[in-house]
Amino acid sequence: MDLITLKNRVEGVHNLATIPGVARRLLEIVGKPSVSLGEIADFVSHDPALTTKVLKMVNSPIYGFPGRISSVNQAVLLLGLGVVRGLLVGVTVFELMQQVMMGLREHSLGCAIVSRIIARKKALKDPEETFVFGLLHDIGKVVLLLQFPQEYSKAMELARQRDVTVYEVEGDFFSTTHATVGAWIAEQWSFPQSIIDVIGYHHKPQLSKVAPLETAVVHFSDILIRGRGFGFAGDSGVPALHPSAWKLLGLSEADIREILKEAEDLLEEAAEF
Amino acid sequence: MGLVPASDLTPGMKLTRPLVNAGGVVMLSENTELTEALIKKIQRMGVEAVHVQGEAVPLPPAEEVLAELDRRFRNVEEAAHMGVIKKLLKEHIESLYECHGPDNPEK
Repeated sequence: MDLITLKNRVEGVHNLATIPGVARRLLEIVGKPSVSLGEIADFVSHDPALTTKVLKMVNSPIYGFPGRISSVNQAVLLLGLGVVRGLLVGVTVFELMQQVMMGLREHSLGCAIVSRIIARKKALKDPEETFVFGLLHDIGKVVLLLQFPQEYSKAMELARQRDVTVYEVEGDFFSTTHATVGAWIAEQWSFPQSIIDVIGYHHKPQLSKVAPLETAVVHFSDILIRGRGFGFAGDSGVPALHPSAWKLLGLSEADIREILKEAEDLLEEAAEF
Repeated sequence: MGLVPASDLTPGMKLTRPLVNAGGVVMLSENTELTEALIKKIQRMGVEAVHVQGEAVPLPPAEEVLAELDRRFRNVEEAAHMGVIKKLLKEHIESLYECHGPDNPEK
């Protein structure tokens, strides 16, 4: 498949019949470049289930935000519109994740949890935002699985036969990877450049220009959570860490021990989502 | 302490956290001892799992989990820093067995 055909199909993913109406409308709203708090709050307030899901997540220990957030408006004030947009997409896509690949939801949530812990440890400016980056880093897999389920299954099978990660064979089927596809969709949704960078470069953190630290965090977390054996991301092996991320983060062995320990209890909580 | 699927609950188990419904209302308080009737109620509420005292689902045998760790790292063990990461994960997984082992379930 050539890139232009692929990109057209990816950008048309919203029109798939398999995407529930609520999700489609939400994606339309959050994707507007100049969406206002009022528009988001108005949309969400008409969907109590969505409100509950977002508030449950921001008030849960896995998210680690101190204090209680009781409304979407308050969440926007405390966390920022960008984070809330990301969370809304995250909890919406969550259910799709479960449908398209068993375990991808756990993988994404686990990666988000570890990303937030590392971000806090490294005193990054916005650990809550880094959580959202982790949550959405594999959005390209969701899109490919929704739009091309047969081809993606074949890619997974080929990866298994060759004993490599699915990322390494995606190019054979789609002439690009889930990372690029994820960046396209984030761009189409008018997401901030930082998240587009993280999604697009989470396998090549050395290329990130806009958010190199956050990309390194998500890259590292992806590897740690796969290494821990939590969730499933489409293949059976852990990808290698890019040395630039190791250098940039400068985590000691003691740091990594603490990160794993802190994540462990939260992973148990994650089973509730 | 652990999270147990609603379908695996048995009478006599005690909640270690309050059970709240989707609206945030506490349905059962912490320390409630589960009865047959309460378990049915929890299952009807559509709750997937609750926190109860004692060990949740027993961990799979350590040898099996560590063998899976070896399998996951089979292609990258020689790559930069991956040996260290694997070593730390191995120690971490082993530590889970030290504090959750069958001889010492309540720690």
